[in-house]
Amino acid sequence: MNTSVFEPRALARVVFRAGLLALAIGAGGCATVSQNRRAHLADPMMGVTDEPLDAYRRQKLYDTREGAAGGDGAAAGGGCGCQ
Amino acid sequence: MRLRIVRVTAWMLVVLACSAAGRALADDGVRTEDLALSDENVLGHLPALHVDAITTRITGYNQFGTGYQSKSGPILGPGSERLTVFEPQAEIIASQGDRITHRIWVPVDIISSASANSIPKVPDVVSGASRHNGAGTIEWATTYKSDPVTVLSMSTGVHLESPFRSWNGGLGASRAFADQNTVLAFNVVGIFDWFDRFEVNGRRDGRTERSSTLGSVSFTQVLGPDTVVNVNYGLTVQEGELGNTWNAVPLTSGVRGSELLPDERVRHAVVGRLSQFLPWNGALRLYERFYADDWGVVANSAEAQVLQRLSPELYIGALYRFHVQNAPAFFTTLASPNATLRTADSDLAPLDSHTIGAKIVGDVPVTGIARVLHYEVEYDRYFRTNDLRIDIVTCALGFHF
Repeated sequence: MNTSVFEPRALARVVFRAGLLALAIGAGGCATVSQNRRAHLADPMMGVTDEPLDAYRRQKLYDTREGAAGGDGAAAGGGCGCQ
Repeated sequence: MRLRIVRVTAWMLVVLACSAAGRALADDGVRTEDLALSDENVLGHLPALHVDAITTRITGYNQFGTGYQSKSGPILGPGSERLTVFEPQAEIIASQGDRITHRIWVPVDIISSASANSIPKVPDVVSGASRHNGAGTIEWATTYKSDPVTVLSMSTGVHLESPFRSWNGGLGASRAFADQNTVLAFNVVGIFDWFDRFEVNGRRDGRTERSSTLGSVSFTQVLGPDTVVNVNYGLTVQEGELGNTWNAVPLTSGVRGSELLPDERVRHAVVGRLSQFLPWNGALRLYERFYADDWGVVANSAEAQVLQRLSPELYIGALYRFHVQNAPAFFTTLASPNATLRTADSDLAPLDSHTIGAKIVGDVPVTGIARVLHYEVEYDRYFRTNDLRIDIVTCALGFHF
């Protein structure tokens, strides 16, 4: 079986990307934005995740048609669209 | 053994988080005063249950394409993956006092023409259930705000469809820091599936099962008045029958064989999201997901959404998503009859996929019982390099009270 997930190259790629994200967060993490300056963040357009019913139908579309589904805290497969 | 350790660790994290939140509440004397200033004490008796929002959504999928796992075609494939799905959903969000919120959600799938007519007049899952099938789920999630910055959650649900039953239950917790500029959250979900096993010729062969344990940790950070980011790591551990049991694999002997998959799978995914408000009253949302599992599948997905507000009540948006994945070593479109692992499932093939879409979203203030009428219309087109195309139309309508 191909176990490329544990190969150094794949692992290094994961660590590199996680590091970039951590750096992005860390760079701004010290700043505190007061609640009265978060009007833009409260706009529905700015949600970091989709509205739940929309997120469900999108996730199901990808989970049942791409073998690389799941792993991000949501159920993978089920019913006709296993795996 | 390794899987058991992962599971035990995940559940221990849940228990620790719950007890930590409880200790924080018990140890902090100030909290008692906070409770004295609760909505109920200030405003008087609150209704036992208040419906905050009701939302419905209807989605239609019209799929065309072919795949070697389908029996609706020549023996050595590929067969049709023609499919239409009609998917209504309904959601009710209700608050019980000022600390507890319930979410009850019912998605239903009505499926027709899925790999139909491959074995005419044989009442099996391919020619029968798969030709016209219905599936329904009911989910109930409850959140409890134990203090102004800590939320505990619990969820459960059941899924029913023709040859398939599923139950899930989950626990989660989130805590905000730094004047709610930072939110740390995690959850654990267990899913148990029981379903009929079928031989490749469609004959039923008793029952089988699988279990999935999911854990995720999420970190959200406000970077400025216009920028917020989120990073999520998720782990999924699956054991049992990991296929649907009726997928076919063309064999070098000129006949179809059954799909043979490993009986466990460990998946990892790291997701990064960024939302940036744009000076012309728009927004840019970016999404990046890296995935790897112990079957050897490595994938990358990236998505961008551009949104533009046209008025206080209306905005429009466009999206593009790109996904690329490789295949496990045992993927083939022509397998040896002696292979111990094999799949021809087009979803596990090496592929690129693209999604393009556009949507209109409105929130209109109304008078009467409801405060706001929410509506949304979206069209998406999904297409990929190994012959699959889907047209998707989705409409949502909801009321906020």
